[in-house]
Amino acid sequence: MASDFFQRQSDARRSTLWLVCMFCLAVIAIVTIVVSVAAVVVSSQSRQPMQAISAHPEQLAIPALAGLITLVLIVGGSIYKILELRSGGGTQVAEGLGGRRLYPNTQDPTEKRLLNVVEEMAIASGTPVPPVFMLPEKGINAFAAGYSPGDAVLGVTRGCATQLSREQLQGVIAHEFSHILNGDMRMSIKLIGVLHGILLLGLTGHLILRMFFYSGGSRSRSNRSDGNNSGGQAILVIIVIGVVLLVLGFVGTFFGNLIKAAVSRQREYLADASAVQFTRNPEGIAGALKQIGARAAGSRLKTAGAAEASHMYFAQGVWEGFSGLWATHPPLAKRIRAIDPQWDGKFPEADALPASLGSDVLAGFTGGVQLQSVPPAASTEVPVQIIDEAVNHVGEPTTAHQHYAADLVRQIPELIVEATHEPYAARAVIFALLLNRQAEVRLRQLEILRKNAPADVNQLVVGMQADIDRLDARVRLPLVEMSLPALRAMSPSQYVEFYRCFVDLAKADQHIDLFEWMLSQVLLRHLRPQFERIKSPPVMYYGLQQLGRECSILLSAMAAAGNNDAVAKLAFQQGATRLSELKLQQRPRSESGLGDLRVALEKLAHVAVKHRGRIVDACAAAISADQHVTWQEAELLRGISDLLDCPMPPLLIPSAAASSRY
Amino acid sequence: MTGWIALAVLVGLVLIIGMYVVGVFNQLVKLQNRYENAFSQIEVQLKRRYDLIPNLVETVKGYMAHERETLEAVITARNKAVSGLQQASSDPSNVAAMQALSGAEQGLTGALGKLFALSEAYPDLKANQNMAQLTEEITTTENKVSFARQAYNDSATAYNTYKESFPPVAVAGLFGHSQNAQLLQFDSAVIAEAPKVSF
Repeated sequence: MASDFFQRQSDARRSTLWLVCMFCLAVIAIVTIVVSVAAVVVSSQSRQPMQAISAHPEQLAIPALAGLITLVLIVGGSIYKILELRSGGGTQVAEGLGGRRLYPNTQDPTEKRLLNVVEEMAIASGTPVPPVFMLPEKGINAFAAGYSPGDAVLGVTRGCATQLSREQLQGVIAHEFSHILNGDMRMSIKLIGVLHGILLLGLTGHLILRMFFYSGGSRSRSNRSDGNNSGGQAILVIIVIGVVLLVLGFVGTFFGNLIKAAVSRQREYLADASAVQFTRNPEGIAGALKQIGARAAGSRLKTAGAAEASHMYFAQGVWEGFSGLWATHPPLAKRIRAIDPQWDGKFPEADALPASLGSDVLAGFTGGVQLQSVPPAASTEVPVQIIDEAVNHVGEPTTAHQHYAADLVRQIPELIVEATHEPYAARAVIFALLLNRQAEVRLRQLEILRKNAPADVNQLVVGMQADIDRLDARVRLPLVEMSLPALRAMSPSQYVEFYRCFVDLAKADQHIDLFEWMLSQVLLRHLRPQFERIKSPPVMYYGLQQLGRECSILLSAMAAAGNNDAVAKLAFQQGATRLSELKLQQRPRSESGLGDLRVALEKLAHVAVKHRGRIVDACAAAISADQHVTWQEAELLRGISDLLDCPMPPLLIPSAAASSRY
Repeated sequence: MTGWIALAVLVGLVLIIGMYVVGVFNQLVKLQNRYENAFSQIEVQLKRRYDLIPNLVETVKGYMAHERETLEAVITARNKAVSGLQQASSDPSNVAAMQALSGAEQGLTGALGKLFALSEAYPDLKANQNMAQLTEEITTTENKVSFARQAYNDSATAYNTYKESFPPVAVAGLFGHSQNAQLLQFDSAVIAEAPKVSF
């Protein structure tokens, strides 16, 4: 039975195709109905035989116009919605649901296992490894988000990662990979878009009728008293079209939603079948589904935004009414039977935790993860994003690495870790990070905070500053990143206030160093799209030929950071060899201002991805030129690659140099 | 007049067929690259596995001093597999080299299995965090090797099926896609006996 998964896949594909055809037919039918209703109304109004229609061009023009407007409304509405849904990207969805990104250097065995399983499935399905986010939820669920395989991310609930055995976890992850591979996220975004277009039709009909009843009514009377027949006729046509649009819009949305749910259910069957293909192990995914059935928490998600992403989950994430017609996922029992026809219909005992997980995990699960708002236990949960170069060492975690990571975690007091999870306190953390070490500047900054920041945030900053000052500078960027999800929860007005304070604080400190500057740039880059309408930079340069000056500025800054002039020269040359097609000129330290660097980075963000990767590569070469990479250089590189919107590749540092510095 | 129409239809047909053939060509190239890439994945994962083993032996050595022979057997088997892989990857079409690699792999798997079985008797070793991490790493690498093989076979099958199905089969030979991609035999011994490394 394991061999018929290809058959089940093609069945599911065929059903989807059929449903999508129905969807298209529905759109065509709507347009046809509008056109014919308009034609009937026009001809009945003119009381002339239908044959004579060609003699009266306006009788053709009105139905044609109505049809055109309908089409434009549907298409325009669809495109608008699709673009809106696309722009978010997977990361934003995952973080919106409270997800925390997992990094390969994690110390938590559960997270490590999850990341390994994701890599295994990426190999099995032949797709790139997506970023993984963990949601602090008890239910067993997972989702894939993003428009294309390139910007896809995986989200996995904590319940899923801790309660499933390795095989079951493989099944769940393989299921999500199928969604990525088959472009299911893209399809549901498109369907949602077209549905939005149809809904817009109904709203337009509603609007037309309202306009007529509130203002058009009196005018129609005066028209009739003039004896102007064509005016009255036009108004009647408009009313009828309004009614037709209203009815079609709402009926269309109703049935469209049914079709969309049906498509989504077919894709789930497809993904289940693909999961069996990728793992060659039907027990894995069937076991995971049974575990969901066995648990009270099941697959429900508690986060507020859960409903918006309902089509992407592994199993039903939100309650969708009594009728199965609107469910985005088929019933569990049906899914299990499709994979495992011999199933006896009994769910296993819920407490049967996989033996491979130790009791410490069990304790963490029952104690720590009851509600989303409960901050996770500090010792295991802190994402320590040490230099991503650690990616290189995933396979061979030296003891030095482990001590280093553990030390970093311990350095952050629990109070501050908790603060980063809470919107108010997270703001205080960011402000405290911006405080200058010079007493006089700091006084000025505290004054600014007193005036502009909310009183309780201000109080928190004052209470926290001593702790933050004691922190190793290495944890500053991780702290900013940890605070991001909480900061995203601000209301727009809070954000405006926060932004103003932030800029003032940064300015008060008249001389910012490169690292501080990068910190603030990273923060703004991730926060601003949430609250302001910012488009991601379009690709404008397909090569680096015109950007020699910008590259020189960036490389000079990287080379100068933390090096004396002689080393900086060598570092610059090392970096320049990576961009050999350019004639790069090192700029003297006095001329490399941050303003120039900001402009240069903004311009470089318009370069095609491939070349952006090369720029990051060159920067990496520059900082590792002296065979000695400080944390500051490494964090700087991470920041720069983040600003260039480039997934951070592993650093090209000889491993001896890399490990000797810890 | 009819002559012109016939000509236009003819040109249109030729254009459509031409575009279709271009599509077939591109699809063939895509599928071929995919399975070739899948093959290199196997190599990557095997190498990674070999790299992990010295770490494992280093960790275990302190606890299992009495099992010197087993440890040495693991190292020997590992070195044999490394040289086997080098030979096989320099000439993937060499059947004998492939078989030698497969044999060395089996030997390594057996030696590792023995090591893990013995390690059960050492509670201190089981409690060692480093060991737990290594175990997870080796498990995932074993899985990756088998998934990579499977992905290779899936993509090779996809390539073969496309190449042999009707319209493409007419042109595939012209574009130099005459040879079927070779499926890797799932050596049942290697796959089935992937060492049980759960504690």
